[in-house]
Amino acid sequence: MEIEQYFGAGYKGSKSFNQWDVQTANATGFGAAADDYMERGIDLNEQLIRNKPATFFMRVSGDAMIGAGIFNGDIVIVDRSVKPVSGKIVIAILNGEMLIRRLEKTFNKLRLIPETNKLAPIEVDMSGGNEFAIWGVVTYTIHSV
Amino acid sequence: MKFFCVPCVLPRVPCGEKKHHKEHEEEHKGHKGFLNLLECSPKIRNMISTTANIDNKLPDITDKKRAFKAIVDCNSFYCSCERLFKPHLLKQPVVVLSNNDGCIVSRSDEAKKFGVAMAGPYFQAQHLIQKHNISVFSSNYNLYGDLSWRVMETLRTLSPSVEVYSVDEAFLDLSGIPEKELSDYALHIRQTVEQWTGISVSVGLASTKTLCKVANHIAKKNKNASNCVTTLTTAAEEREALEHTRVNGIWGVGNSYAEKLINLGITNAWQLRNMPAEWAHRNLGGVVGVRLIKELNGEPCIEMNEQLDSKKMIATTRMFGSPVTDINDIKEAIATYTSRAAEKLRRQKSAANVISVFVVPKGQDHTADFRHGSTVSQYAVLPIATSITNELIKPAVGLIEQLYKNGTSYKKAGVMLSGLVPDSSIQANLFSPESKNAGRLLMDMIDNVNFSMRDDVLKFAASGTDRDWKMRQELRSGRYTTRWEGMFEVK
Repeated sequence: MEIEQYFGAGYKGSKSFNQWDVQTANATGFGAAADDYMERGIDLNEQLIRNKPATFFMRVSGDAMIGAGIFNGDIVIVDRSVKPVSGKIVIAILNGEMLIRRLEKTFNKLRLIPETNKLAPIEVDMSGGNEFAIWGVVTYTIHSV
Repeated sequence: MKFFCVPCVLPRVPCGEKKHHKEHEEEHKGHKGFLNLLECSPKIRNMISTTANIDNKLPDITDKKRAFKAIVDCNSFYCSCERLFKPHLLKQPVVVLSNNDGCIVSRSDEAKKFGVAMAGPYFQAQHLIQKHNISVFSSNYNLYGDLSWRVMETLRTLSPSVEVYSVDEAFLDLSGIPEKELSDYALHIRQTVEQWTGISVSVGLASTKTLCKVANHIAKKNKNASNCVTTLTTAAEEREALEHTRVNGIWGVGNSYAEKLINLGITNAWQLRNMPAEWAHRNLGGVVGVRLIKELNGEPCIEMNEQLDSKKMIATTRMFGSPVTDINDIKEAIATYTSRAAEKLRRQKSAANVISVFVVPKGQDHTADFRHGSTVSQYAVLPIATSITNELIKPAVGLIEQLYKNGTSYKKAGVMLSGLVPDSSIQANLFSPESKNAGRLLMDMIDNVNFSMRDDVLKFAASGTDRDWKMRQELRSGRYTTRWEGMFEVK
């Protein structure tokens, strides 16, 4: 993801690692060379959480986004510091309710599109008829297989 | 006209002749302003003439490049936290109750408008709450703590030095920001915190902490006009702000001092700012008073303090859900509070020398149900400083047995640990067993398990299992940000 899409530059994932968190390779003989190449392991937080204070987890209930691979009971990672551009999956506030939908912005229209044919797209009345805001942008989904 | 040089309070210009006045000005070049004696109340005039003989040397700060600070204060913090996951309440009145649903501890602006009193007992406001359909929540400290951490963490990306002043306030050092960009930056801080965490904040920016507080107060008073940001960077802005601040609204001026000042004819902060330091030393509690005057004059005296001090005393006290009469229940409660306090003690790597226990009997006056009876307390000096839970529970339970009177019902109990010393420097007692390492290791183990598993999965049997006496939290919202099972659901 391009870094320009974020409101701030400060990476606040899990960089609190220090040298002591990296184990030494306990090997002798030929294997001892591995010690020179020791590095820390993969940490999911580092990949999934770009900006920790702005990142929230939510559980999805319902089939609104199954076309996008987000199923009932999945967990979505929501980053409030990402700009909600057209095409992103967002958590939107519409008339006091939180909805997960794909955001579609055109020059004069704003629509919330579900990824299932069971639900209809919602056209947001921007002239003041609807209370509308974007809560955050969905960046990842955690799905149990 | 009689003029006084404020910093040096010299009464050496008795006449109104311009020539003399000019001379005096020459002599005190660089000092800040002259106080027009005719404008003062008679009491102040007297005071100045009595203190005028003292020699005074204040550092000259007018030429120094000024460094600025800001205070960021969350708007109705607990209510904002509740609203984050309940957007339908955004413009609705909301209140949050204290532990045990006793008092109102946070009110949204809409609830304030309906006249709900701060810290007022819940049952007294109940008719207002029903009449105006105000949403009520029990305090959800898991949620508030997490969101507070998020706000502070966001602020740390915006300033190199952040002093967390309370759960919802922080001071920021902005000395690196060019003066003409300060008000833009203050707005940027406000918007970033709101965007990232969803918590709305007010920013007060000025050259000292006390002035920051004044600015913040003004920003909060009229949120629409100020856009929740007030900056005091010029002398004119400072003057205007101080003139509109009453003395009882100044940070560090308590009720008794405010009353005293008003009696002396000093009603606003601008008047107080113009008082000489000697006068403050004499009348406003010595050094503290002088510091206050200097701070109001834009001279920083209260520095940024990033380090959290370790506490000198640790207390855990709670109200019971309903009055308790059985000694076994009270013992369980005391054992639980002791475990809690010991955990806090170990977290700051201290050990306690003294333990005290108190209980509050239910008041006899049934018409005023929220009133406490008088507190009964007892303390014990431990043979050796300790932070091990079982070594603390034993004396605590002993103390409660002494305090308990059969037939009395109790409303509240608490445990206090004092005489704290660093864990590493425990003085060995000749008669105490050799090494306590095993106990300490066990405590570490328990703390680690409880921290990762939560809900006190490991506890001492003395703490009981039923907890009939525990707090009422009937209206608590979900722990959306700290628990997998409490996660917010979105459709």
